[in-house]
Amino acid sequence: MKRILVLALRDLRIEFRGRSGLLSALFFLGVVLLILGFALGPEENDLRRAAPGVLWVALAFAGSLLAGRVWAVEVENGTLDDLLLTPGSREWIYWGKFLFLWVLLLLVALVLLFMVAGMFYLPLDRAPGLFLTLILGATGYAAVATFYAGIVVRLSTAQLVLPILVFTVVVPVILAAVRATVGLAEGAAMAEVASWWKFLAAFDLIYLTACSLLFPFVIEG
Amino acid sequence: MEPKRAKQRLDPLTQGLLWVGFLTLAAGLFFALKAPPDVQQGYLVRILYLHVAAAWTGYLAFIVAGVYALLYLVREDPRFDRLSAASAEIGLWLSLLMVLGGMMWARPTWGVYWVWEPRLTSVAVMVAIYAAYFLLRQAIEDPEMRAKAAAGVAILGVINIPITYMSVYWWRSIHQTASIDIINRRVNMAPEMVTALLVNLLAFTLIYLGFLRLKGMLAEMGAREEEQSG
Repeated sequence: MKRILVLALRDLRIEFRGRSGLLSALFFLGVVLLILGFALGPEENDLRRAAPGVLWVALAFAGSLLAGRVWAVEVENGTLDDLLLTPGSREWIYWGKFLFLWVLLLLVALVLLFMVAGMFYLPLDRAPGLFLTLILGATGYAAVATFYAGIVVRLSTAQLVLPILVFTVVVPVILAAVRATVGLAEGAAMAEVASWWKFLAAFDLIYLTACSLLFPFVIEG
Repeated sequence: MEPKRAKQRLDPLTQGLLWVGFLTLAAGLFFALKAPPDVQQGYLVRILYLHVAAAWTGYLAFIVAGVYALLYLVREDPRFDRLSAASAEIGLWLSLLMVLGGMMWARPTWGVYWVWEPRLTSVAVMVAIYAAYFLLRQAIEDPEMRAKAAAGVAILGVINIPITYMSVYWWRSIHQTASIDIINRRVNMAPEMVTALLVNLLAFTLIYLGFLRLKGMLAEMGAREEEQSG
């Protein structure tokens, strides 16, 4: 447990010192929102209706940038083998990396939420519900992205393959998250939104369990 | 140099599966044409015999691909990886056949080829996952790494199959619920129709198993040749 935190904190510290990954993800978000705004606007009603979709599309794109960062530190410094050689089972490496990506995603998602609220008029009056949706969505996304980023990390074509893999497998999470956000934005009954939350939570649980159990078999030192 | 190739014949089991499979398919066609038209859909209902059989066998192929992938990760025997890939490929073709048949049926029935509703969306996701599976296999040269990465996709891909299957029950969907309803243990169709469907299902399953063995064998020969030349 302690190892997981140490690994995640170390990666976060490196990421914040370097800033390049996080900054480029945020910049990219801004550009995506601009393009979508131009494409869908400027009618206020159109933008409002598109807002939940825009939120998750932008987050998914930015997430695939961040996913590349998860193992980048190890590859750049040649420390992946050292990490894999640490005695004990390897699940904790997955959990550490997952935690790292999860925190990054949530930070980006929080910024994004306010950007979308500003530019696309996403109503924030049910903010706690939106936060919960973001947390559940980011969990599923990070679970899958960490896993696949680990599989392809040694490939020269990793940057090419990773988005294809992550996007296809993560589609159900994005769909459910969009539905929940639409429900919250358009004032749907709590029961309807909650059914999507349940779906998301089930997904997160299945993906996290499956990925963390499979990870030691799939990653090779 | 031409690698020395013994005159290979298919082993009896594979031959038998394929022969019986295709004969059963012919019988299935006969039963499907003999079955009465549907009250609401008329003769259009006959697409169902192919559509449902392809869908079920497709699910089966993907599940088998997942099981072989898991076996590969545990045992690290390349044979399991080859079988997993073979099964996934047949599953992908069957799913495409199922989608195509569904579209042919949907156009006269719903008025459109495609709608974004739960069942169709989840099927689209399923097909996309297994298409990505083969993109990934193409992208990796090293056989061991390819096998492990592919296994990661094949196993997580299986999670989508129950969602696809249950999508017509969980969400309000325009797609029909199952005619042979396993969840509620009911059969919502005439007996002649059930016969036709089950015969077709048997035919598809036999042909699937035959092709799985055949493709597994071909992949093994390919791997051996690669080893000799490389």
